[in-house]
Amino acid sequence: MSTEPEMEGARPKDPPSSSETKGRGGLVGFVASDHRYVFLGTSALALVGLALANQPHSASSFLARSYAVEVVLYYVLVAWIVVSLVALVNKLAKWRGDEYAKTSPFKRPQAVRAERICSYVVWAIVAAFVVDRVVVGAADLVSSSIAQSKNPTDFFSSAVYMIYSMRDEFATGIVNTVILAVVGTVIAFFLAILLVFLRLQTIERTDDDFVRFLKTVGSGFARVYSAVVRGTPMMVQGLIIYYGGTSLLTARGMSATQILGVWPPFTAAMVTIALNSTAYMMEVLRSGIGAVDPGQAEAARSLGLSQWQAMRSVVFPQGILNAVPALSNELVINIKDSSVLMVIGVVELMFASRTITGVYYKQLPVYVVTAVCYLVLTMLATKLLNVLAVRLGAKPSDGVTSSN
Amino acid sequence: MAENESARGALSGEPLVRVEGLRKSFGSLEVLKGINFEVNRGEVVTIIGASGSGKSTLLRCINLLETPDSGHVWFHGEDLANSRANVNKLRESIGMVFQTFNLFNNKNVLDNCTLAPVMLHKCDKAEAERRARENLAAVGLADFVDAPSTSLSGGQKQRVAIARALCMQPDLMLFDEPTSALDPEIVGEVLNVMRDLASGGMTMVVVTHEMDFAKNVSDKVVFMDKGVIAEEGDPKQLFTNPRQPRTRAFLSRYLEDVGVE
Repeated sequence: MSTEPEMEGARPKDPPSSSETKGRGGLVGFVASDHRYVFLGTSALALVGLALANQPHSASSFLARSYAVEVVLYYVLVAWIVVSLVALVNKLAKWRGDEYAKTSPFKRPQAVRAERICSYVVWAIVAAFVVDRVVVGAADLVSSSIAQSKNPTDFFSSAVYMIYSMRDEFATGIVNTVILAVVGTVIAFFLAILLVFLRLQTIERTDDDFVRFLKTVGSGFARVYSAVVRGTPMMVQGLIIYYGGTSLLTARGMSATQILGVWPPFTAAMVTIALNSTAYMMEVLRSGIGAVDPGQAEAARSLGLSQWQAMRSVVFPQGILNAVPALSNELVINIKDSSVLMVIGVVELMFASRTITGVYYKQLPVYVVTAVCYLVLTMLATKLLNVLAVRLGAKPSDGVTSSN
Repeated sequence: MAENESARGALSGEPLVRVEGLRKSFGSLEVLKGINFEVNRGEVVTIIGASGSGKSTLLRCINLLETPDSGHVWFHGEDLANSRANVNKLRESIGMVFQTFNLFNNKNVLDNCTLAPVMLHKCDKAEAERRARENLAAVGLADFVDAPSTSLSGGQKQRVAIARALCMQPDLMLFDEPTSALDPEIVGEVLNVMRDLASGGMTMVVVTHEMDFAKNVSDKVVFMDKGVIAEEGDPKQLFTNPRQPRTRAFLSRYLEDVGVE
């Protein structure tokens, strides 16, 4: 029994409310229970609310229309901070041992309950200020920027104005970036499985000369392919593939317009990403397959399966599963690295950004928005792929994405 | 059926496995220095010896998981060491059980057992499943048919591995230290399965450190030392009165433990 009062201070919930919240997990449980640091946490929030309240009203602010209400709300927040300070002084005065938890009026069960309900009020008031100043404010900024007849000087207004006025190019850029990355990665995945199969062929004693020749050539090709592709920048690869195709078609007597029809930059970019990513994915698959216990293949071979059968049914499925986190990383890398293919004139996100800066001669706001777009795309891809990885039974990736 | 085959083998007088002059080196280390030995149909042969004496390598040469440098491995009248031999086909009738079980981690228990028979067209899927359930029941795992293979205990995994090998209806079973990776208290459940298999007439070659099994279950014991067969013979004789001093030295601790001599 002697530990009971001590527990009171340390326990986040008091008995009646913990029975109320039993069975409710997560956010609901957190909100509906009493917390030890209710004054500290909610005061910090109230300070944020006060800071927002001191910001000027935007054009369509709803609190500006009922100023008296805003003043009342403001002083409720101030009152909460004052009560918190009193509690703090009280606590400092009863600092020793568990005196505060035992004797303070702020720690009586009814008081704790009242504090929790008051904290809801503070939350609601702060939420009102956030909506009024931040959400409505941003909406006003956007609508006023769009309405401008020339590029505003203010950073955010200018970014909104430029992106909005060129919204079709920008949207095309985002869509093309996503298509290039997703389709390119999927094609690369299947090519990489073929290539790693060639790469892992080992000559067996029972193979005849023809099979030996095929295996040597296949494995050698995979090695050279990987070395060449990983040893040159994707930008250069894109240029060579695009202009290689163009000059080939020119040599066959096609006009520039005809060439644009059969070999547009978009196709060349897709081919470049697929072929480039194949090499990296092959290495990823190779290490995933290398991590499969050699006993698995031995057991399969001991049952009479051929090398190909053992690979297909036992080793590859496990190896690919091992490689899933690193493979999904490839998609994220391709979202980012497709940006270098703007040099061949494919309208992806980076090309669209360059176009906009070219129209307005103003770079920084556009590139910041572009960076945010890439970040959102890569984070979205990481999240989705982690869900997929968990579904497949693989370990999710750690979220660290390196670049090729 | 197994008994019929072993009877036929006995009539023809030809041993099921005959190893002749087998040599194998890993780099500069010569592991097998000219091995000759035979396994007759229905016979249980155990190979004992210190670690590094070449027991496992010899076993793995029998189904060519290791390629011998020279020598012959005759099985079913074909020389596996000949580069023209269809090794995959011959392996179908040689089951192998590994120290580390090596169940296919991406398959459940039943699929582990049916994969090879179906893929190698030994029988159709329904027949393979029927046979797998039968073999799993025989090793006491009828209730684990649908379990993922990674969820089993070591002893259960090894029994599945035995059932998996039996599903190919092999003429010969190779056991490579099948109980060495198991906790002492579950060694027995695997040894019992092997004992049943032996009394059912299966031809077996067992590399083991389980001296009781070697002594009581096998028809012939082969003692290997430093890459050669130092002594082979009847288990009763070899365990009670070994001819070679090095056999005696190897067995001394065991003989003392059980109070023989």
